[in-house]
Amino acid sequence: MNTPFFGRLLNILDYALSSLRRNLGKNCTVFILFTLVIFLFASFQLMTGGLTELAQKVLVTAPDITVQQMSAGRQVAIAADAKEKLTGIFGVSKVKERIWGYYFDESNGANYTVIGISLPAGDDAGGSWLGLEEGRLPRPDERGKVVVSRDIRDKLGLGSRRHFSLFRPDLSLASFETVGTFSGTLDILTADVILMSLDDARDLFAIVPGFVTDLLVDAGNPLEVETIAGKINDLLSGVRVITRNRILKTYTVVFGWRSGLGGICLLTALVAFAIFAWDRASGLSREEVREVGILRVLGWQTNDIILLRFFESAVIALLAFFTGYLLAWIHVAGFDGTFLRPILLGWSVLRPSFTFVPQFAFSDMLLIFSISVFPYLCATAVPAWRAAVVRADSVI
Amino acid sequence: MLITLESVDKIYNSGAINEVAALREIDLTVAEGEMVCLQGPSGSGKTTLLSVIGCIFSPTSGRATIGGRRISRLPDHFLTRYRRELIGFIFQNYNMLGHLSVLENITLPLLPLGISPGRREKMADALLDKLAIGHRKHFIADQLSGGELQRAAIARALINNPPIIVADEPTAHLDGKLALEIIDLLAEQKADGRTLILSSHDPAVSGHPRVDRVVALRDGRISSQVSAG
Repeated sequence: MNTPFFGRLLNILDYALSSLRRNLGKNCTVFILFTLVIFLFASFQLMTGGLTELAQKVLVTAPDITVQQMSAGRQVAIAADAKEKLTGIFGVSKVKERIWGYYFDESNGANYTVIGISLPAGDDAGGSWLGLEEGRLPRPDERGKVVVSRDIRDKLGLGSRRHFSLFRPDLSLASFETVGTFSGTLDILTADVILMSLDDARDLFAIVPGFVTDLLVDAGNPLEVETIAGKINDLLSGVRVITRNRILKTYTVVFGWRSGLGGICLLTALVAFAIFAWDRASGLSREEVREVGILRVLGWQTNDIILLRFFESAVIALLAFFTGYLLAWIHVAGFDGTFLRPILLGWSVLRPSFTFVPQFAFSDMLLIFSISVFPYLCATAVPAWRAAVVRADSVI
Repeated sequence: MLITLESVDKIYNSGAINEVAALREIDLTVAEGEMVCLQGPSGSGKTTLLSVIGCIFSPTSGRATIGGRRISRLPDHFLTRYRRELIGFIFQNYNMLGHLSVLENITLPLLPLGISPGRREKMADALLDKLAIGHRKHFIADQLSGGELQRAAIARALINNPPIIVADEPTAHLDGKLALEIIDLLAEQKADGRTLILSSHDPAVSGHPRVDRVVALRDGRISSQVSAG
């Protein structure tokens, strides 16, 4: 380490650090802007990773296959008797009916997801498998009982009350009583959900008896899901067959698309920053030209000056990168991505209040590094070279 | 001979409408340990001649050999290397970096050589004490007086232990007594075997007892060379 080569590097690095300290005001502006860009990039990436990870976890409870009837490219109700045909497919262990729809609460400006299912009996009736925060699931023989999220309770202004009403399509009122509340840990899926019996949902949406919106199919062997999905496609005409894997891919695409959109905006910001960095680095002041001229007379080679400028840029870039990444981590892990949450989760009035668990991936970090630090170093390379070729006789 | 210039020309903006022939047909030799003073009016080519000898740029034509190395038409990289190894340059306006301390200014030539901070300070201390400005070591250059700045500049020129000192009007901004002190300091370098080439308008410099030869320049040509004593 003590060879002249490393000694030279250390000496020039030391001089670069003192040069950065001397020009603190100018360098602080670059540092703050660069840190901000990295912070936004890293926050997007950590949140997207966290959301995909969360989707993977919550989809464990989702059915293996969802079957929907399509007409003219749109989803319509499916005849519940198709259940019998599906049960007959080899490898299918269970088929359940579901009514899934959306209810717009005009007075609150909120959109609720109404899910009607065949309510379980026996051990599953308590709802522990759903992670209820309090209460229970409605019993199969009960009517007008529902489970809602804490957010919906707040939106409806229930307080300690348990009863509320929703409008049917004919504007008559359907009354409901809450018997349970979803746990906040599954908020990403349940924040806007009202869970009720199949009959109550049919009544609320005025769906013709004998029809549901989806049929949920469980396969005995997870490896046979795709095969069974293919058989369902062959068996029922005009249906859409969605596997759990496909839903996960959709989530990934949706989050990725939102993140990508943000990424494009940020890329623009990065280009603007690179132009700014170029401008700052290329606009050599008279004092800077004089300094380089003196160093050249004193025996500093062109590559010594380039190295000096490179160290200055690299120190700023690396410091900004690690600060930005650390701040992004704190933003996502500690503050649930407050600033970017509306962009990534803005599909509902009732936004889930779940906790992000950022996923660290070295490859992701490397990606941000390569699209931020490298362009910055490139943007400052040419100005550095221009500074370095200041002639020694400029100070004579 | 340590320095040999044969038929050296230096033309600025060659071929352009603002072409200036700063040096014409210069023949000059300087022996090791000699102290040579260049004299002449402004624009006579003193600084250009010092710059050629100081390896700051190559002559346009002619042959220049410094310390046995031919510097005519050398690429910048080699000129810089020779400048670092052979030349200590002292400027008329000191050219110290005002925001750095005296110690930092003086040790600037040592940074690309990979010399450690401890050794750099040791080397600087020896010179600063010799030049009687050790007490100003940690002062920012902007805080120094003209005399102190020129002493610091001399220390910076000597830090690499170069065999040749080139000084361009080293006493231009100093009063008579200080100017004499600085010339005495420079002349002392002869005792260490160094060769000194300096330019000056000041008769006190050209008349200094340690000056071996006075070379007069006019319009880029050597008009006379007078050996002292």
